[in-house]
Amino acid sequence: MTVKEKLKKIIIEELKLEEITPEEIEDDAPLFGEGLGLDSLDAVEIVVLLEKYFSVEVKSLEEGKEAFQSINALAAYVEQRQTQ
Amino acid sequence: MRLLIQGMGVVGGFGCGTDALASALSSGHCAPRNASVKTSQGPLDIAVFFADASRLEEFVNKRSLRRVDHFSKMAILGSYLALQDAGKLEEDRSRMGMIIATGYGAARTTYTLLDSFVLDGETFASPTSFSNSVHNAAVAGVSTLLDITGPGLTVSQFEMSVASALITARCWLEEGSVDSVLFGAVDEYCDVLGYCWHRFFGERATSAHDMDPFNLDLQSAVPGEGASFFVLSRDDGGGSQYGCIENAHLGMVEQYTEGPDGDNTIFFIGADGHRECGAHYKRFLSGHSRTACYTPLYGSLPTGPAFDIAIAALSIKSGKVFPSPVKNKGPGNGADNEGRLPDSGSICCVKISNRGELGTVTLKA
Amino acid sequence: MSPGAVAITGVGCVCAPGNNLPECMESLFRGERNFGAPTRFVSDNAAAFPVFEVADDLASLETRNTPVISRTGMLSLKAAFEAIGDSGLDRESLRSKRVGVCMGTTVGCVMNNETFYRAYLKGQDPDMADITRFLQSNPAAVVAREFDLTGPCQTIVNACSSSTDAIRTGTLWIKSGICDIVLAGGADEMSHVACTGFASLMITDSSPCKPFDRDRKGLNLGEGAAMVVLESEGVRRMRRKGARAFVLGSGASCDAYHLTAPHPDGRGLRRALGEAIASSGVETKEIAFVNAHGTGTQDNDRVESGVLRDMLPGVPFLSTKGYTGHTLGAAGAIEAVFTVACLERGRIPKSAGFSNPDPQLGVSPAEREMEIRGAVAVSESLAFGGHNGVLVLVMGGGPT
Repeated sequence: MTVKEKLKKIIIEELKLEEITPEEIEDDAPLFGEGLGLDSLDAVEIVVLLEKYFSVEVKSLEEGKEAFQSINALAAYVEQRQTQ
Repeated sequence: MRLLIQGMGVVGGFGCGTDALASALSSGHCAPRNASVKTSQGPLDIAVFFADASRLEEFVNKRSLRRVDHFSKMAILGSYLALQDAGKLEEDRSRMGMIIATGYGAARTTYTLLDSFVLDGETFASPTSFSNSVHNAAVAGVSTLLDITGPGLTVSQFEMSVASALITARCWLEEGSVDSVLFGAVDEYCDVLGYCWHRFFGERATSAHDMDPFNLDLQSAVPGEGASFFVLSRDDGGGSQYGCIENAHLGMVEQYTEGPDGDNTIFFIGADGHRECGAHYKRFLSGHSRTACYTPLYGSLPTGPAFDIAIAALSIKSGKVFPSPVKNKGPGNGADNEGRLPDSGSICCVKISNRGELGTVTLKA
Repeated sequence: MSPGAVAITGVGCVCAPGNNLPECMESLFRGERNFGAPTRFVSDNAAAFPVFEVADDLASLETRNTPVISRTGMLSLKAAFEAIGDSGLDRESLRSKRVGVCMGTTVGCVMNNETFYRAYLKGQDPDMADITRFLQSNPAAVVAREFDLTGPCQTIVNACSSSTDAIRTGTLWIKSGICDIVLAGGADEMSHVACTGFASLMITDSSPCKPFDRDRKGLNLGEGAAMVVLESEGVRRMRRKGARAFVLGSGASCDAYHLTAPHPDGRGLRRALGEAIASSGVETKEIAFVNAHGTGTQDNDRVESGVLRDMLPGVPFLSTKGYTGHTLGAAGAIEAVFTVACLERGRIPKSAGFSNPDPQLGVSPAEREMEIRGAVAVSESLAFGGHNGVLVLVMGGGPT
């Protein structure tokens, strides 16, 4: 499973987006506001999920803001930190 | 000042809605379901009156409920049912206040939160679980979905929660800062609660299936969960099919003095099979002969009194007292079998704690 | 005095700055900030987030409460003893009156003992003492039991506005005639679960908090308790007791917006503040200062300062959470008590933690200790879940 696929699966399961399938989440669609419609509480939940599933630590929300724009951005963030 | 009951919504072991409650009252029967308690000797069976909140999807789309836990779902469902029953789902709610009484709060989520970090470490704590675990999350959830912008309150006082919270509801309406109050009571069962029952009550906890509340020396309690919601307003003389809440009072059993309608009141006794409360109930019952008890229809939970209020309201609506679904009829066993409301139309719902604290809520036609 | 005014005849307080109100005020006006790594629990990350603990372990507090109670219960009693003593009442005089108890808490009503739960998860049989202690520690019940009080008893769990709401509720009980006296306040002990929970929301600061500051990063948690003795005019005048202050008015509302974030325009706070001022009968120009909620989080401080800027322009405001940490259910009562003490002193301390104005806010809290003009002040709280609670207080003085 690629990082993007894993991210989609985790987001759907852990954020309880039951009616959505991984295929329906576009890689470059916004995660917050429009697109998937996640909010500030989901953002901090994703921070915990990144720690839990990828051992990646997000030190602040400012740092995470760029990364959380889309699945693409999130995957890039994770991959970059995993090689560190 | 009397509080008019404009509508109500209930969900509990008997099902969902006032029709389900009325049906259980008529049949005199409600069977708990089986759950499992994790013990050091392996799993044990326990009977529980579970509440099913799945009808909530008639009112709110699933997506909006994705983060909402069972505790809040029961509260939201009770709220919608009560507002629907009152014919107020479409009305503006900027002058509506909201109060929820709860004994244990969002108990399941308390442990879901701990599950997220207590073994694996703090960095894995779920912020969503934390946010849902604070007791006022249900008021937040309901007020957000239903756009209720008056004052909000969550009261937690174990068995005295309902009577205590109603005192404040009445003050709000008296003060005039709101025109109506959405008043609810919610409690949920969770595995840890089942475990605590097993440890405190031993074999009696896990063998109990048929509650015998008027057998006051017996531990026969079966845990229950659910929500009971009421739309309350000032009594403007218009009347209501459910009558009014005349009074809510907190005190101690030994100081209880009869109200003016004392002889002409029927007492709904909130005894729910807990032996440690037995002596206090005996003391109260020694002075009262017209009694009924309905706890076997919904089980034992701190906010059980709110179900008794709903049953009292249904009694006023139907003009009769439903038979008590109890094996041993208790001291007042003549009166409730007659099936008539007293001439005063007065029903007093009574709850007593193991320390002899007494909470009463009196309704009148 | 407006007919709706309810007298405060006694106050008590215990939090990081001090063990009683005079000690707290001296500490605040010395500009001290008593924060440190938590000592009341073990954390994976002990140094990460400073907290404001009460130094006293309360072991020497003598109570009639024979069952063992939680630290939150003990903190409640500590504040109660001081407040009742301050009011000139005692156990005898309380027993002869209709006395209610209304307390706010967050931690005090949650059964989340980790030792117990870990053992349970592992299939062991933990000692049930933790559960028994929890069942005996409902804060309002603890106070009622201590003084044999049989009036209405209520613990409010409204997150961060709990004890502002408790004081407001107490005034309503007095005004409706169901009580002669109400012991109203709040308490919360330092809690590992709460600390962990707030950290998971990423709204905690790893350094001492900076309410309303440009560089603020979040809140610090604290613990403590405070109580006010609310008294009806009938009882107060009969015993010729001067009031330290009066609650002139109050307001409360729900944002009806989100589980954790405040309404971006502060619509709920605007309403609660408006109602509090209207019900108090004062004009905004009479308000000497505002004890703000001011947690140091981005959201709260932005929303709250926006409301203050619009509704009370030019009125000095401060957050005292830079001295106490965020004491959750106790915050409203601690801040109400601080407000009374500041009115009496005629001065407010500087808003601790503030150095740099935030251009996005357009207003700044008190940068230094200052004299205040006027006898009226506002104390407000904004809570998770969107509760807003506001009190309008006026200085007392004299028997009538």
